[in-house]
Amino acid sequence: MRLWLNHLRRTPLLLFLVVYTIVSGGPFLWVMSMSLRTTPEIFDDPYALPVRLHWEKFANAWTNSNYGTYFWNSLIVVVTAVALVTLIGAMAAHCLARYRFRGSRMVRFVILSGMILPPQLLILSLFQILLDYGLYNSLAGLIIVYVATQLAMTVYILEGFFAQLPQDLFDAARMDGYADFEIFWRITLPIGLPAIFTTVTLNFILLWNEYLYAVVLLTDDEKRTLPLGIMHFMGGHQLDVGMIATGLMIAIAPVILLYALFSETMIKGMTAGAVR
Amino acid sequence: MATVTIDGLSKRYAGGGEPAVKAVSLAVADGEFMVLLGPSGCGKSSVLRMIAGLEPITAGTVAIDGRPVNHVPAKDRDIAMVFQSYALYPHMTVHANLAFGLRRRSVPGDEIDRRVRGVAEKLGLTPFLARKPHALSGGQRQRVALGRAIVRDPKVFLFDEPLSNLDAALRVSTRNELIKQQHELGTTTIYVTHDQVEAMTMGDRICIMNKGEVVQIGKPLEVYRSPADAFVARFLGNPPMNLLPARLEQIGDRAVARFADVAVELPGYPMPALTPYLGGAVTLGIRPEDLYETPPPAVAPRTQQIATRVLAVEPLGAETLLMLATGSSDQEIIARVGRDTGLRMGDAASIALDPNALHLFDPTTTKAIARTT
Repeated sequence: MRLWLNHLRRTPLLLFLVVYTIVSGGPFLWVMSMSLRTTPEIFDDPYALPVRLHWEKFANAWTNSNYGTYFWNSLIVVVTAVALVTLIGAMAAHCLARYRFRGSRMVRFVILSGMILPPQLLILSLFQILLDYGLYNSLAGLIIVYVATQLAMTVYILEGFFAQLPQDLFDAARMDGYADFEIFWRITLPIGLPAIFTTVTLNFILLWNEYLYAVVLLTDDEKRTLPLGIMHFMGGHQLDVGMIATGLMIAIAPVILLYALFSETMIKGMTAGAVR
Repeated sequence: MATVTIDGLSKRYAGGGEPAVKAVSLAVADGEFMVLLGPSGCGKSSVLRMIAGLEPITAGTVAIDGRPVNHVPAKDRDIAMVFQSYALYPHMTVHANLAFGLRRRSVPGDEIDRRVRGVAEKLGLTPFLARKPHALSGGQRQRVALGRAIVRDPKVFLFDEPLSNLDAALRVSTRNELIKQQHELGTTTIYVTHDQVEAMTMGDRICIMNKGEVVQIGKPLEVYRSPADAFVARFLGNPPMNLLPARLEQIGDRAVARFADVAVELPGYPMPALTPYLGGAVTLGIRPEDLYETPPPAVAPRTQQIATRVLAVEPLGAETLLMLATGSSDQEIIARVGRDTGLRMGDAASIALDPNALHLFDPTTTKAIARTT
C-alpha cells in the first residue's frame, strides 16, 4: 500500500517530466528526421518518418553548399574566443576573488555590468568600433566581440568558485616562494578546473549557436559561421526545408558531442563548493 | 636555527576599531619552542602571520637573527608554516606537496627526491607518497603538512593551531610527535594555540595574550603557579582557579583574608605588599587541587578548614569535582578531590584549604599582588 502511495506521489512529477521531454526533445527528433528526407518528401508529409535515409544530403551540404567552410570558420572563431575568454576571465576572477585593491569594487561592477546590457543595445556601437579599427567583416573582429560579451558571465561563475578556495592554500604557496602569477597558474587553475570546464562548455554552446553578432558583423560568404550558413537555404520566395534541417544537424553535432563529454564535469563545477 | 625578536608589534585592520595587536614584544631564543596562548580573537594568529610575512605590519618590528624583516617578502624569510587547515594542495600527490616548496627554490631533482623520501620515512608517510590529500586521514594530512615544513629545513617553524582539527586521541599522539620532531631538529618554533594542555606540555615558554596584548611570558609551570593576573589565573588550569571576593584585615602584625565566614592566613605575602589593601577588598584565588577533602600528610598541618555545602558532584573516573557553596553568602567554588569520595549533593562538607596556595589579586586592576618566592 505504502509503495503504491509513493508511486502515486511521484506521478505528477513524472507526468511533468514526460511532457517536458516531449516538448523539448520532440522538435529535435523532428528536425533529425527531416534532415534525412528530401524537401518534396517533407512537403508531402511533414511529420512522417524517413522511408529512405538520404545521407548524401550531409555530403551535399558540406561540399556544394559551403558548409565545410562555415564549419571551420565557426570552429576557429569559437575555439579561439572560448580559449581567450577562459584565460582572461580566469585571471580576472582570480584577482577579484583573492585581492583587495583600490577600485576593485568598481572593476567588478564594470565587468559584471556586461551581463545586464542586451546584444541589441550593443550591436550598433560594436559595428562602428569594428569599422573604425578595420576589423569589420573579419573573424578576428568577431572573436574580439565574443570575448568581450562572454567575459562577464565567465568572471561571474569563476569568481564565485575561486572565492571559496581556502586562503590558506594561497598563503602556503606564498610561503613556498611562489609569486602571484605562479600561484594562479599552479594552484587556482588546476583546482578550479571543474568551474572552468563549466564556463568552457557554456561559452562553447552559446557562441557556437550565436547568430546576431555574426549576421551583423560578417558579410562575406567565405567568412560566415555555421548559424549563418542556414541562410544559404533561404531564398527570396522559398525555403529549402530539407537542407535547412540537414544544416541544423551539422551545426548541432559538435555541441551535442561536447555536452555528452563534459556534462558531468559541468554539473560538478556548478555545484562544487556548495556543501563543505 | 635562529632567534626571533618582536618589538612593539601592532596591527590595525581596515575598518577602524580597536587594534588587533597592541605593542607586542617578545624574544624567542635560538632553538626555543615558544607557545602563543590565548582565547580566540586575542591576536595570536595575527602576530604569527606578521612574523610569517602574510600580513602587513602596522607598527613595530620583526627581526630574525637580528635582521629586521618587516619589508622582506614571506618567501625570503626562510620560515615554514603549518596551517590549521593543513593547506595541502588537493590536486597534488603527497610527494608533490612535499616537493612543491623545494622546486621553487631550484633545488636539483634528485636532491628534492632524496629529501622528500627522507622526511616521508621520518614521518611514516612513505606508503602514501602517491596518494592525494583527499585519500588521507586527518592525522596523515597533519603529518604531510608537518613534512612540507620540515623538508624546507627553514630557520623558523610557525604553527597555527595545527592540532585543532584532530580528535582527542590523535591530538595527544600528534602532539608528542611534534615535540619529538622539534627536539630532534632543534629549529626555533613559534606555536599558536588556544589549548592550555598543548601550551603546558609543548612549550619551553608560554606567551599568554589577551585582547591584543601580552599578559605574561614564562615557563609553563612558572606561569601556572604564579599567574600575573586574574585572567591568566583563570585561563590556565581545568577547572579554572576559584576567584572569590575577600576582605583584607589586620590582626596584630599580620594580615588575614576574610571570606566565607573564615579568616585565612597569608604566608608568603610581605606586609608592605598588603598594606595598601588593608581594610579593603581583594580577590582571593585558590586552585581546585589545593582544596582537600582529606589533605595529604605533608600539607595537613598548615591547612585551614572551611565549611561548605555540596551543590554538585562530578565523578570523572580518576578524580571527582565538587561544586561547593561557602559561607553564608553561598559563594561557589570547585574542589578537585579523590575518586573515592563519599560526598553527595546536599552534604555539609568541611574542606581543607592550603594557605600557601592562596593567590591575591588587586580587585580593580586584576593584577597579582606580589608575594615572596
